[in-house]
This record gives sequence, structure tokens and C-alpha cells, in this order.
Amino acid sequence: MPFFLRRIATLSSSIFAIVTFNFFLFHIIPGDPIRLIARTQRLNTEAIAKLRTSFGLDGSLLSQYFRYLSKLLHGDLGYSFFYKENVSGIVGRALGNTFLLLTASTLIVVTCGIAIGVFAGSRQGKKSDTATVVSSLILWSMPTFWVGMLLVFTFGVWVGGLPISGISTANALYSNWFQYAMDIGQHLILPTVTLAIVDIAFFIIITRTALIEVMSEDYMLTARGKGLSRRTIVWRHGFRNAMLPVLTASALYISALVGGAIQVEVVFSWPGMGLLMYNAVLARDYSVLEASFLLTTVAVLVANFAADMLYRVLDPRVAVSK
Amino acid sequence: MVSIESSSNQPEAQHPVFNRRTFLQAALATTAVVGVGSFLTACGVKTQKVVSKLIRVGWKADMDTFNPFTTVTTEGVEIQSMIYDKLLDYGLDLQSEPSLATKSVSAGNTITYTIRDGVTWHDGTPFSVKDIVYTYETIGKNQLGINAQFLADYVSVSAPDDKTVVLTFTRPQAFDPGLVIPIVPAHIWSTKSTDEISKFDNLAPIGTGPFAFGTRKQGQIVTVTRNDKWWGTAPEASGISWAIYSNDDLLAQALKNGEVDITPNVPPTVFDGLKKDSAVTAVELDSFSFHHIGMNVSKVKGSTGNPLMHDRAIRQALGYALDRNQIVQIAYAGHALPAGSILTPNFGDYYYEPKGDAVIDNNPAKANAILDAAGYSAKGSDGIRKTKDGKSLSFRVICTATTSVDVRTAQLFQATAEKVGIKLTLTTVDSDTMASAVYNLENPDWDIFVWGWDSGVNDPSYLLGVPLTSQIGGNNDVFYSNPVYDDLFTKQSAELDHTKRVAIVQEMQKLFYEDCVYLVAVYLKKLQAYNNSGWTGWTNVAGGIIFNFTRDNYLKVKAGK
Repeated sequence: MPFFLRRIATLSSSIFAIVTFNFFLFHIIPGDPIRLIARTQRLNTEAIAKLRTSFGLDGSLLSQYFRYLSKLLHGDLGYSFFYKENVSGIVGRALGNTFLLLTASTLIVVTCGIAIGVFAGSRQGKKSDTATVVSSLILWSMPTFWVGMLLVFTFGVWVGGLPISGISTANALYSNWFQYAMDIGQHLILPTVTLAIVDIAFFIIITRTALIEVMSEDYMLTARGKGLSRRTIVWRHGFRNAMLPVLTASALYISALVGGAIQVEVVFSWPGMGLLMYNAVLARDYSVLEASFLLTTVAVLVANFAADMLYRVLDPRVAVSK
Repeated sequence: MVSIESSSNQPEAQHPVFNRRTFLQAALATTAVVGVGSFLTACGVKTQKVVSKLIRVGWKADMDTFNPFTTVTTEGVEIQSMIYDKLLDYGLDLQSEPSLATKSVSAGNTITYTIRDGVTWHDGTPFSVKDIVYTYETIGKNQLGINAQFLADYVSVSAPDDKTVVLTFTRPQAFDPGLVIPIVPAHIWSTKSTDEISKFDNLAPIGTGPFAFGTRKQGQIVTVTRNDKWWGTAPEASGISWAIYSNDDLLAQALKNGEVDITPNVPPTVFDGLKKDSAVTAVELDSFSFHHIGMNVSKVKGSTGNPLMHDRAIRQALGYALDRNQIVQIAYAGHALPAGSILTPNFGDYYYEPKGDAVIDNNPAKANAILDAAGYSAKGSDGIRKTKDGKSLSFRVICTATTSVDVRTAQLFQATAEKVGIKLTLTTVDSDTMASAVYNLENPDWDIFVWGWDSGVNDPSYLLGVPLTSQIGGNNDVFYSNPVYDDLFTKQSAELDHTKRVAIVQEMQKLFYEDCVYLVAVYLKKLQAYNNSGWTGWTNVAGGIIFNFTRDNYLKVKAGK
């Protein structure tokens, strides 16, 4: 079977396993969402039974599972216990917002992280390299929510000037779409900077290590022996080969962000997947959680699949050895 | 193996994926996009205007749905009360006032409403008695949603003419359901089956209320705009917005700097800080909520609760051991009232206040005397009392880990109980586990919990109804069953003479108080705060300026300077 098809088959069976695990995970944990709804209000047993049916919680676990699979194949992610509407719409809106935050932060984190990593790796052992490594380790060890809270305090209470909550100004009237876009852009700054501050270190360190490893290869010696300039050696020969682990890291980073930069979204009330999951946990909105988990795990799998494919483009040895 | 050298010998321009130039170009472009974006956005700080004459509410939780048949959150009910009218409404004095019905007359098993003229739906369709008949019939026949409880004795609804609606019940109704049931438009809803109604998301609700639906951004904000064709006196506010803040400190900050006009639930820790701020008025109001200690008296075979809980003497001793004042001061930092009866003092003359010898609170001597008299005088080496057959008076207590006041209450209760020789072992659980454990009808495996109740209506029926035998499997969280109490409940809910009803309600509370299956620990205080420069004329109401049974504060406030 060709490599591509083999990978597709593995991807599909992994997704099926996850769907199954995901379903049973949420249905065997103790607790009854209907009971929680009923607690707050005086519902009679007939009303409770009706709720159970409308949320698909009636019948045996197995029949609920098959119903879930059939709905999933029709693109139906379920019905929210809390919002009383289809999960697809709720998750769709949140995904859009997370995508915005993700794109902004990934662009900064990956490009700046790689650039600084190459800078440090090509100057191994020098003061500039040591300074970069030490500051990266400090940044990396800072908890994201703590950095977020510091920025909220700095820009919300102390200095002011930048919005610290939400995706746009509450109750604002915009005279054109540009103003609206600018307002969202403003709200995007602090969450993006928070993510960048912490995550950039990850890419700096990975790129640096990969580059140092590549630079010690025999062919780099050959390149030097051929009299190539340092710049050509680093960027043409070293950088491309050092990109393989960085690519894996990028794929994992993007897929992790699909699950929502939970802490950042919660700190800045950014209405994306992270905040949605956080609120779903608080509201015991199982169907929203189920869908969010599913999307996150599928995102990880698909990102890894994409990284595998890209590997073959970047490094023909991968294709040959397979 | 592929030769590495062969690729490195290629000219630089043939590497399509990465090279220094393309990478630097990409990095430069990214930095430029982000940098220019930041610059532009920094310049655009004040380009958008804020809607004027808007009442801006800031709160912590999202509403669920605009569907009045499926909504369960208080936030949902609050926002819907602006969009949908009811037949009657609560005024600022929490007394009934006309709404879609100009008059309501209870006689025997019927309530007759006289309906207002000249009302239209937000979409321009004329409102009629058919809409009322449809709404009541849908809830009454199908027992749909949270308001079905008020139509438990429903028989029929009819409209003898276009100005009159008659509701018929199996017995007289002391509580008028017209006060709580929002009327929905038949022209939108009547084409749907019961199942479709249960699943209808109602994303663009149409009502007859003073405000029409504006926008909703889930998890962020809901806005409504003034309905200039509303039948009542037009509110000054051009609209209302309810914005969600994820953090109490952010919300307090927004209130101080005027981004938010009012907030309905201030935590005690933030409240004291707001009280000192001159830009803000922070108020502490009585509420219709209490927190209580409940004891498992289930008689089902599968119950693994400690059977000693069935002994009234032990329950009463625990009641006498409990120090409610200490709980108020320590667990609630003074922002609560020591409690007793299942009704809060806000219920006026219905409220039963135990006095003198009738008080079951903070009396360890009496607790010891009761336990001695009941035969639990033997003690182990740890000071814990024993039954005659040698079993320790030892009980498990559960409460929700995230409700810190309940955890603190349980700890204080533990300490006071130990002083009278009763051992309590505390376990904190999450709210889901709590609900599943407590409401496990067949196998309740718990002894004591700490939890709370909030009355959904300004009528004693709701809270008094919690410990009914018929509510086992419903709200009755302690499985209490007392035929005398049940009979009294039935009598009071059909008693139209106020004085006679008060007497029955008082008797019920006394009976339930003395049975000590509930040790109602505290009556909560509602802590709210508003910005002084936004709107003027907020009226303090028991239960809250907003987030209460009455919507009148929204309708009557005036724009500030």
C-alpha cells in the first residue's frame, strides 16, 4: 500500500478510536447533567424524562453510542445542555476566534523563535548565545496565566491604554468595518503577546539545539572546507536540515492551540475554544466538551499527518528509507 | 541512501522551501503586519463610539437560551423578562401589578384575566388572547419547562371573548401563575411540535416587552433595544446590555471606571473594596436565598446513609450544637444573617421566627442533655458518644469544594458538633458528584450535606414545597416525608384568605424547623453595586436592584449627568 494511503488508514482508525473513547469517557464518569438542571428547578419526573430524551441520554449506553456515531457522520456534534442549541454552531463561532488568536501568535512565535534560535545556534558558546538561552529558559518557565495576569495588571490597571478583556469593545458603535477590525486588533494584542512571550522560548531552544547538532555534521565541515561563507553555511546547509524537529514542534504547537490557549483565553475573556471548554466544564455542558475534545484530538492527528507529509518534502531521506 | 552532498551542491536559488532570503522576507513581513497592526490599533483607540443611554450590566455568567420553555438560568430569565411580557408583573414593592392583563380575579378554582388592548408583537403582528391561550395550554398540557410547576393543577385555559382569559385548575390557587409565565407569540410557536419546541434555539426572540432583542455574542454580550411601541411608559434607556466578565477584579475595575453601570453579584471580598470607592454605590440587600445543612432521612432499602439520622434527638442535638452567628461572622464575613426557618424574612408575615425556648441554635448544654436523655451518654476514649450497642455517633458530611462558604460552614459545624460528642467527617466534592450523590433515589450514600436554595418566586409555595413527600425524586434533597406537613402544604396553596394562609404557613415552618432535617444556617445577603455617574434612581429592593423578580428598576432609572 502506498505510504500516503497507509497514513490515511492509520489516521482514520486513530480518529475512530478517539471518537469511541471520547464518547465513553463522558458517559461513564459519575454525574448526571439532567439531575443538575433539575436541581435548580422544580421539574416533575415527566419533564425530566422529556429532557433526557431530547438530550439523547435515554436508552442503553450502546444505543446512545450508535446514535452518537450516526449523528457524527452527519456532521451533528450534538445538542448543548446549556445553550440549548446545536453544538456545531457554538463550536464554529469559538473556533473562528481561536483561529484568529492562533494565527497571530503562531506567526510571531514561529518566525521570531526560529530567527532568534538560528542567531543563537550559529554563535554557540558566545555571550549572545548564553544570554539568549538563559532568557529563553526564564521565559519558558513562566506560567502563561501569570504572564497574562501581569499584563492585565500593567495595561488594565497601571498604565492603561490596551483592552484587557473580550474580543471587541462592549457596546461600541462602529462607523465602518475598518474601525471594527481595528477594535478586534487592539483586543488581540495582549493575548497574542502573552502567548508569544512564553512560547517563543520553546522555538528558540529547539531551533538552536537542532542547528548546533546539524552544524557538527561532517558535511558542514565539507562546506566550510569548500570555503563557503558562514552565512551560506548556516542558512543554506544548516538551517534547512535543522528544520525537521522544528517542523514537528510547529505542528504540535498549532494543534495544541486548536484546543484553545485555555489559560490565555480565560484570563483575557477571549471567546475562543479555550474559554468555551472552561465554561463548559463549569456548566457541565458535556456535549460541548465532547465536541471540543474531539476537535482538539483530531487537530493533533491531522497536524501530525501534515508534518509527516511535509517531512518528505523537506528531507527526501524520509521517503527513501520508508 | 541519498547523497547529502548532491543536494548541497545545488545553486541557492533552487531551494524552494527555505532559504535565508525567503525566511528573512517572511519574518520581515510578519513583523510588519503585526507591527503596523499594533500601531494602527493603538491609533484607533477612540475611533468607535459607545452607545448612549444604554444600561450596561456586567456579570459573570452567560445566559442559556431565549427559549422560555427550556431556559433554566437566572440570567436567561432576567433577559427574557425584558423581551417577553407576562400577564402580571412584580413592582418595586414586590407586589403584583398589571402587565398584559389589566386585572386578575381569583374565584374558586378559576382565575380570570382582563387583557390589555393595543398590544403588538415586536414584529408588528397584533397580540391577542390566542397567544395567551397557546402559551398556557402548551405548558399546562405538556408540563414543559420551569414554569410547569405553577400549572401543576392545570385543567384548562379558555378565552370567552377577545378581552378575557380564564384559567381553570383542580383547586383554588393561592399563587397567581400570571406573575411568572412569559407569553410567547402563537404565530411563531404554534406550528411546532412539543419536541420541536423543546429543541427550538429561538435565536431571534419576538416578544411584546419593553425591549426588543438586539444582538447576542455567546459568552460575551447580549443587547436589547427599546421597543418604542410598547404599551407602558417608555423607559429612558435606549437599550440594555449584559456583558460577561471572566474575573471579579476586572468587573470591579470596569464598574469603577464607568464601563459598567451596575453589577448584580459582588463577592464579599470585592464588596468591601467597592464600598470605599466614591465612584460606586455598593449595597447589601436582603435576599430570598439560604444555605442549609441537610440530613439524609431516606427510608428506601438501598440507602447506605447512617440510620441514626432518623433519630430526631440526634438531629435536634446537631441543631443545638450549630452556632449560626459564628458561621455568619467567619464563613460569610458578616454578609449574611443567622437563619432558622425555611422561609427567609423577606416573605414578610409568612416568615416564622423562632423565639425564646423555641430557638434551636448555639446551645451545647441543651444538645448534651438531649443526647443523654436519648441514651447516647456512653463515650469512647476520643470523647465521641456511642449508642447502646456501641456504635459511634459518627457521620459523613459532603459539600461542594468550590463553594468556599459551604466548606467553611461545614468545618465550623464539625468543630461545634465534636464539642457535644458527635463526630463529623468532611469530604468536599464537585457540584456534579454532589447532585448525583444527594439525588440518588435508590441508593443515597451520604449522611449530611451543606448546600443552598433560592426562591424563584415571591411566594412561600416554592420553598415550602421542597420537603414535600411528592418532591422525593424532585426537589426533596433529604427524602423528608411527613403527611402532616404535606396536608398543610395542600391546604395553604389553596387558601385564598391571606390571614388563614399565613397561619398555616407559619405552622408548617415551625413543624419543619423542629424536625431538624434542614438546619437552615444563613440567609444570604445580595451584594450589588452601581456606578454613580451612569444612571440615577436605582431603588433598593429585597432580593436585588436587578436580577430579581421585578424588572422595574430597568424601566424607571433616569440618565445621570
